[in-house]
Formats: sequence, structure tokens, C-alpha cells
Amino acid sequence: MKPLPAGLRFVERDWLSSNQVVGIDGAQATVVDTGYAKHAALTVALMRQVLDGTGARLARIVNTHLHSDHCGGNRALADAFGCTITVPHASAAEVAEWDERRLSFAATGQRCPRFAHDATLRPGDTLRLGGLDWDVHAAPGHDPKSLVFHCERERLLISADALWENGFGIVFPEIDGESGFDEQHEVLELIGRLRVEQVLPGHGPMFGDVDAALGRARTKLAAMREDPGRHARHALKVLVKFLLLDVGRIDEHALHERVSDAVIMRRAAAQIGMAYEDALRWAADSLVAQGLLRREGDLLVDA
Amino acid sequence: MSDAPRSARAPAAGREPAASAAPLSSAAPVPSPCISVCRIEPASGLCEGCLRTLDEIARWGSMSNEARREVWSSIHARRAGRGPGSDTAQDAAVAAAGGPAS
Repeated sequence: MKPLPAGLRFVERDWLSSNQVVGIDGAQATVVDTGYAKHAALTVALMRQVLDGTGARLARIVNTHLHSDHCGGNRALADAFGCTITVPHASAAEVAEWDERRLSFAATGQRCPRFAHDATLRPGDTLRLGGLDWDVHAAPGHDPKSLVFHCERERLLISADALWENGFGIVFPEIDGESGFDEQHEVLELIGRLRVEQVLPGHGPMFGDVDAALGRARTKLAAMREDPGRHARHALKVLVKFLLLDVGRIDEHALHERVSDAVIMRRAAAQIGMAYEDALRWAADSLVAQGLLRREGDLLVDA
Repeated sequence: MSDAPRSARAPAAGREPAASAAPLSSAAPVPSPCISVCRIEPASGLCEGCLRTLDEIARWGSMSNEARREVWSSIHARRAGRGPGSDTAQDAAVAAAGGPAS
């Protein structure tokens, strides 16, 4: 894979925290997405490390979308560096009001320290990042308000959770009873039309074979359409695993209480066709069977 | 929110070979050492989970596979240097990631 342009850095994180793309523009740096709250101290330290010796200071955060694993470090970075925060225009109102229900944190049982935005981006805008111009595209599907950024000159794509090397994020609107598969399909078609030689995804490593990744993503999407219950089962397991990545270990009854108001998880259970607590137990059992969690008495433990 | 039942720790048992076993083609992807602990221990400057330095974590995403394998070698050396018998978070986490050094 060819090296990134001189003004760009790609920091690969994990599944609890999104990756960061850092762009250096003279004395000012921008970071795209900030990881999960639990890892915020490391995210702050990583930004210092990445910018050390560049003469740039972190001046701006840009969020592709406002899921807790992409904006959970916003508050800590803004406090540490005094940087501004740019969010998708479509999310501005719920950020301003900090409406946790519309912001998805409450609906998924996740947490995100409150932050305020200073600016917005919308599809059709141009983002200046790392000495390059990036076209801002809408990327509904995983999240109706998500954006992706495409640099025509360098043929790079910051794809957020719309495309990974091996798949894409849960199509949350479908769990919510709304359309998402069609939108995800359109996003994959859009990416197929763009000239992209290298993808900087929201999770997992950077990758170059975009056509192969699109092929895998289309296959997965087709399977989801074929059996929406399978998508819902997958979603519930992902959300339970995410909670365990966050808390490490938890009494199973406490877990059920913690997510009793998590509407998205309830809806996933309903789509699966199970009572909520039964579905949560099923998800835990499945994750244990896969070696992704383990049980210690009444405790569920991340594995 | 990401999509990751096969998440950070899932391929744990499969990680060791990437760093230490013999047949390493330069094209083979080198798995990330991250196991989602993501806390720097102030005394050592290493992540309590993966035993990488801040610099190694920051550069991992753009490293060559060769450089990634060198990081894995350093991780094993650091773990070996810490010795057995302690039950610190690092040891537990690294054991989960790669099994005991041998």
C-alpha cells in the first residue's frame, strides 16, 4: 500500500474506539473521529504523540457521525487542546439540545460525555484536511446522518462505518423499523463510482483493494436483506459485546437493568421474536459460545 | 457504534504466530496487538493491555508489515522481561492475547 500523503496520519484503534485520521495544515491539525469515552485519555495522548514535532496543534475535531465510539473523545480532546468541534449538519440540533434519545447513546446503553459543536458539515461541502480537499458525501445506511470524505486528487476515502475491509456497521435504521438496507446499498454504489485507491475506515486497518471490499459488503448486505432476523441477532450480539468491552465485567441481572431503556436493543429483540431478557440471555450465551465473553458465576466477563 | 462480534480479542489465540512463528510472508496481514485495554501505565510508558509504546500505537496504522512484526517481537521481549508469577493486568491481558511466552 502506498504511503499516505505527508499531511495525513492514520491511527488504528479497536472496536470500542473508532480510528482517527489526523490532517496537518500548517500550524493547525484536524482529527476525524475521537473514539469511545473509556479510551479518551489514550486518545488525548495519541494526539500529542502524533503532533509532536510537527509544529501543529490540534485545532479541530470533525465527526463523521455521532455514535459514541466516534465522538466519545470529543469532550476530552476539546478540554485538553481547546479545539473546535464540527459535526454533521443533520445532527446539530440534537447535539445542541443534548437529546440523548435522538443521539443514540440512551438507545444503545452506551455513554458519551456531553460536548458542544462549533460548526457543521453537510453533503456537498469541501473539507480541508492534511493539505488536501475532501468532498463531503452523505452515507446513510449504518447511520442516516453519517458523512464520508473523499479526496479525488489522492483517491482516498475516509469511510467511517459505511465500508470496512470486511463489511460495514450495523444498519441501525432497520432495527428501528425504518429503511436502511436500500440506503446502505446506495452508499456502496456511490463508493463504487468514486475513484478510490485506499480506504481509511472507521474501524480496522487501512486497505487498498476497494473492489474486493465492496464485493464482500454487497454479499453481506444481500444476506441481511434475505433474513432481517439474522441482522437483528447480529446487532444484539454486537451491542452486548460493546457493553462488555466498556464495563469489562457485569452481573447479568445488572446488565439487564442497565439496558432496560435501550430502545434499539429492545427492538432488535422484538425483530428476533424473543422477549427482551430472553434475547439478552441468548446473545450472551452466543457470545460465550464464540469465546467472546465468558461467565464467572452470575458475572458476564469480557474475553 | 461499530459492528464487531468478532472483535478485538476474538482472534487472540491466532495472534502469536504473526509475531513469532516461522513462516511469515510479507504479504500476510499482521494482526493488531490491541486488546481494548488502551491505558498507558505511567511508570513504563507502555499500554497495560498490549505493551506497546504510545509511538508504536500511533504509528501502527501506517506501518509496513515488517515494522509490525518488529513491534510484536518487542512486545514478546517486554513480556519476557517482566517475568512470570505476577498477576498484573498486563500479564493477564497479554496472556489472553498471545498465550505465555515460550
